[in-house]
Amino acid sequence: MNNRELEQRLAHAVEQTAPNDLDAILSRCGTQNGSVMEMKSRNNIVDLQENVIEMVPAKSKKHWGRWLAAACAALVLLGTGGGGLAYYQSCAVASVVSLDVNPSIELRVNRGERVISCTALNEEAAAVLFSMGGGDDLKGTKLDVAVNAIVGALVQAGYMDSISSAILISVEDKDQERAQRLQQELVASVDGVLQAQAPGTSVLSQVLTMDAPALNNTPYDSGLSAGKAALVRKVMEMNGTIAADNTDAFDKLAALSVEELNDLLKAGEKRIPIGKDAAAIAAYEYSGTLALDSVVADVDPELDKNPPHYEVELKTAWGEFDYIVDAFTGAVLSGQKDLLNNTPGGGGQTVTPPPTSGVDTPVFPDTPVSPDKNVPQTPSSGAQDQQDVGQDAAKQAALNHAGLTESQVTGVKVEREWDDGRLEYDVEFWCGSTEYDYTIDGHSCSVLKHELEHHLYQEGTHHNDSPYGGAGAASGTGTDASFSDIGPAAAKAAALSHAGVAESQTTKMKVERDWDDGWLEYKVEFKSGGMEYEYTIDGVTGAVLEHESEWDD
Amino acid sequence: MLVALGVQTTEEGSGRRELENLLLLTGTGDREAFGLLYTRTRGAVYALSLSLLHDVQEAQDVSQDVFVRVWENAPGYRAQGSPMAWLLTIARNLALTRLRQGGRQVGLEPEEWEAIPAGLPAVSPEDRQILQQALARLEAEERRIVLLHAVTGLKHREIAGLLELPLSTVLSKYHRGLKKLRGLMKGERDQ
Repeated sequence: MNNRELEQRLAHAVEQTAPNDLDAILSRCGTQNGSVMEMKSRNNIVDLQENVIEMVPAKSKKHWGRWLAAACAALVLLGTGGGGLAYYQSCAVASVVSLDVNPSIELRVNRGERVISCTALNEEAAAVLFSMGGGDDLKGTKLDVAVNAIVGALVQAGYMDSISSAILISVEDKDQERAQRLQQELVASVDGVLQAQAPGTSVLSQVLTMDAPALNNTPYDSGLSAGKAALVRKVMEMNGTIAADNTDAFDKLAALSVEELNDLLKAGEKRIPIGKDAAAIAAYEYSGTLALDSVVADVDPELDKNPPHYEVELKTAWGEFDYIVDAFTGAVLSGQKDLLNNTPGGGGQTVTPPPTSGVDTPVFPDTPVSPDKNVPQTPSSGAQDQQDVGQDAAKQAALNHAGLTESQVTGVKVEREWDDGRLEYDVEFWCGSTEYDYTIDGHSCSVLKHELEHHLYQEGTHHNDSPYGGAGAASGTGTDASFSDIGPAAAKAAALSHAGVAESQTTKMKVERDWDDGWLEYKVEFKSGGMEYEYTIDGVTGAVLEHESEWDD
Repeated sequence: MLVALGVQTTEEGSGRRELENLLLLTGTGDREAFGLLYTRTRGAVYALSLSLLHDVQEAQDVSQDVFVRVWENAPGYRAQGSPMAWLLTIARNLALTRLRQGGRQVGLEPEEWEAIPAGLPAVSPEDRQILQQALARLEAEERRIVLLHAVTGLKHREIAGLLELPLSTVLSKYHRGLKKLRGLMKGERDQ
C-alpha cells in the first residue's frame, strides 16, 4: 500500500466514523452574526430593570430567525412559566461584570453565573478577545473561568506590565448581596492569577447599583464599560465637574487608563492630565523624533507623585532615552533634546528638573534617571532593557524554528518594534528561493507568528514531472512555472554535510528525486560508519527537511 | 476509490470554489447550502477535533459546536484564502478551548483507543484497523498531521499554518507518521 492509498483508506475510515447529525445542528442554529467580531456601543446594553433580552440581529435574516427572536422576546415580556421560564432564566442577564485596563470587556452572566455574552467595548479589547472567537468561546462557561481566561490574555498581551498595572473589576447586579459575593470571589481569583503572572498589578473593584448613573445610557459613553464610566464619574465628583455635567471633562477622563484614573483619585488631583498619547508626542517632539516611525514610546503615568508627571521611555535605534513630561502642561521636564542632531555619545542638551519649593514630598523622578541612560548607545552596548532578549537572540530563535543556521540564509533583516505594548522582533531572511518571516516576542523569545513563502525562479530548469502537471504548486498559483532545481549532486552534498561524512566514507548511496504534494524533494540514503542515514532535502533550497539515522543492523 | 475522496479533493480547483460558494450562501441564511457544506466538511472537522481532543464524545460535541459557529459566523466570511482552513481554524479554537476549560492534558493509552471504532458497525474491518492504528500508535502531532493531510486535502504548508508548526516539522512528522502506519499495517497483515 503506497502513501496515497494509505491516505485514501484513512480518509474513508474517518468519513465513515464522523458524526452525521445535521438535524441536531440545525436545531441549534439561531440568528447569524453580522460579522465575525461585532463591536457594540453602550446604547445596546441591556436594561436590567426592564428585563428585556437583547436580541438584535445584525441584518435581516430568514423568517425563522425573526420568529425565534420574536418568540424569545415574547417569552420574556410575558413572563411565561414552565419551559419558557426556564429558557428565560438561562438567557436572562443577572449580573454584568466589566473588566477595564485599557481594553474594556463586558461579560453578562445569568443566575447560574454562566456567561451569556462577552463583548469587546473597544478595539484593544477586540484584539485581546480575538483568540477567543471574539468572546464567543466564553459563552456558557462559568464566570470565574471566563474572567481568568481574559486576565490571562491581558497579561499575555502585555497590558499588565508596569505601564498599565491596574485592572478594574465592576459588578452590576440588582441583588446587591450577590454582587458583593461575586466581587469578592472575582477579586480573589484575579489576584491569585496576577500574583503569579504580573505581581505589580493593582486590582480595583466596585459594585454598582442598578440606579447608578453609569447604567443609564449616556450620550458620551460609546465604547466605555459601565464600570469605567462609574470610575470616571467618581473622579468627576472629586474634581467638581460632575455638577456641571461637563461632557468635555467626561470624554477626557474616559480616554485615560484605569491606572491614571486611580492615581487621580488617590492624589485628590482635580486637574485633568494630558493622557499617555499626548505625553508620548511631547517626548517625540522634544527629542526631534516625531517623524521617525521606528521610535516607540513606553509611557508610565505617575500622577500621584509630586509633581504629577508621565515617564516616557523612547526606544530608538541608538538606545533608550527617558523623559519626564509634566502631566498637565505637557512640558518636558527632563530628557535629552534633539537626538538626531547629537552624535552617539556626544551628549545632547539635557534639561534638569526644576527646583521645587513649598513641597515636602520627594522631587521627581522617584528613581533618578541614570546619566548613562541618556547617552546614546548602540544595541550591542548592553544597555538595553533587562527584559529585552535583543536582536541576536530573536534572530537565533527564528533560525532555530526554521531549522536553519545563519550561514544557510541571506538577506537577514531584524526590526525591533512595539505592538500593543508588546516588544517584538520582526525577523526576515531568505534560504534559497524561500522567504521566511518571523515575529519573535521581545521578552520571551517565543515565536509569535511565522510565515514562509516559496518564490518561483524564472530561470532554471523547467520540470514538468510534477504530479500536478507541472503547476507551480510551491507557490500555489496554479500557473505553469519554472523551478530552480538544486540537482541530485547538491542534494547529496547537503545530506553529507549535515551528516558530517565524506562521500568516500559512504556505501549504498541512493539519491531519488521526488515530488511530494507539489514540493520538489530529494531523498538521499546512504550508509557510513555502521550507521544508516536517510535524508529529505528541499529540491529548491537545499534545506534539510527531514533526517534520520540509525544503527545499521 | 475517488468516491471515497469527496473531502480530500474539495480543496483543489473547483472543489475549493464550491466550498467557498457554499460558505457564502450559508452566510445569506441558505440552510440547504449549509447542509451541503456540512456533508462536505464534517469528516475534516471531526478528524481535527478527534486528533486534538482524543475523545470521541468530546470530538462529536465540538464538531457540532463548530458547525453551529460556522452558521453564526458565515456572514462574516470573506472569500479569500482557503475556506477549509477557515472552518478548521474554528474547529481548532473550539477544541483547544474545550481542552483549556477541562483543564486537562490528554494522553490516552493505546488500549484506551480500542473502543473507538468498535461501536461503529458500518465501518469495515480494514477501515477500522487503519483508523485504530492511526489514532493509537502515532504520536500526537504525527496523528494530527497525517489525518489532516489525508482527510482535509490541505497542503503541508497550510497544515503548518493551522497547527503553528514549521513546515519542515510537518513534512518530517508526516513522512514519519505514514511510514510508521505503513509498517503497522504491514505487520498486521503479516500476522
